[in-house]
Order: sequence, then C-alpha cells, then structure tokens
Amino acid sequence: MIPQLVTVRYRRLDGRWLRLYLPVLPVLLVLSPLLVLALLAGLVACVVTGVSPVGALRGVGRLLCGLPGTRIEIEDGQTAVLVSVR
Amino acid sequence: MNEQRRQILQMLAEGKITAEEAERLIDAVEREQPESPPGAAPRPKSRPKYLRVLVEDNSGDGQGRVNIRVPLQLLRAGVRLTSLIPPQALGKLNAELDKSGVPIDLTQLKPQHIEELVEQLDELTIDVNDAENKVQVFCE
Repeated sequence: MIPQLVTVRYRRLDGRWLRLYLPVLPVLLVLSPLLVLALLAGLVACVVTGVSPVGALRGVGRLLCGLPGTRIEIEDGQTAVLVSVR
Repeated sequence: MNEQRRQILQMLAEGKITAEEAERLIDAVEREQPESPPGAAPRPKSRPKYLRVLVEDNSGDGQGRVNIRVPLQLLRAGVRLTSLIPPQALGKLNAELDKSGVPIDLTQLKPQHIEELVEQLDELTIDVNDAENKVQVFCE
C-alpha cells in the first residue's frame, strides 16, 4: 500500500513544535503535471543508461509500498525533527 | 497431554496418590500453564517487520538522540533496486572502491545474497554501550 500520510514535526529552539501533515494522494494529484515530466525524464534516463524502465518502475513502486511504517526521530539539544510515514 | 499431567496420572495408576490428590495436582499444573486446545498447531513466532536503530549521545553540552524505524520491506525493495545498476556502472564503482582500499567486487555480489542477508536480519541485535553513548540495532 502506498503511503497515505506523511507527518513532519519540528521542535524549534524556543521549544515550540511545528507540525506539517501531508496527505500523499492529494499532494500527488496537485503535483501530477510535474510528476509526469519527472516520469518521462526518468524513462529517458533509463534508456540512455541501459537500465530496464519496467524494472525501474517496479523497483520504485516497491520502494513506495515499503515506506509506510517508517519513522525517523532526531533530537539534538533543543532541536528535534520527527518524520513519520503512514 | 503434557509430561507433568502424564506423570500425575502415572502416579495415580500406581496407587501412589489418591484421586483427590491427582485432581489437585492437575489443577495446579493447569494454573501454571494455560493449555492450548488439543489438535491446535503451535503458533509460529511472528516475524519482525521493522529494523530499529537507537542512538543516544550524552557527550558534549546537549543530549542527542536518534530513533529510526525502517520497515524490512523497504530494505528488501532497496536491495532489489541494486539489481538494476548497469554493469558498466558496477565496473566504475569497483574501480573507485579499489582506489579507496576496499577490495570488494560488486559484480560478484548478487541481489539474492543481499536478500538472504536481509532475511537473516531478524536475529540481528547490536548493543554498544559506553559511558556517554549508546547504540542499539535490532529487529522488531
């Protein structure tokens, strides 16, 4: 299953948290024209470098489907960053 | 029927204990070990799904902490992507590694070897502790 929601939390030096909730599908819809261009550029790059485009697409698809459940928390003194993919 | 129950019934059959004592002993054994229904297959241990990396750094002024949880499925997908690297790129990578003093031949490293490595990560546990730092890597 592709990620549904990406949450980014950032704790500033003054202790306040900034939260950003990114719904993946709506964001992809909004960015779809850019994604189409990126896809075309990727396919051209695959052909030029001799990589199988189908294999590359499949690999990227598997990578996306493996992302849900990823959680990265980094704290350093007063600053903290949390990225969560669900 | 488990071993303890069998021994209790054996003692009853040999007349070493009375029926009441056997009943009390069996109750006591069953209280200690809840019995699974007969014919039920033993539940297999569930496979870990995530790789966790925990780092705590108490040196210096502040306290640093890193907590990363990565699904093993993501690692497997990443490993499979390496099979797409074209041979000429692998050759260049080998040359660079050789120059840096790392004698690893990437062309000999097959994706199935790396997949087997990821499969065995289930039992990986790394614990490094010193006065100021702590590193843990494990699967859950």
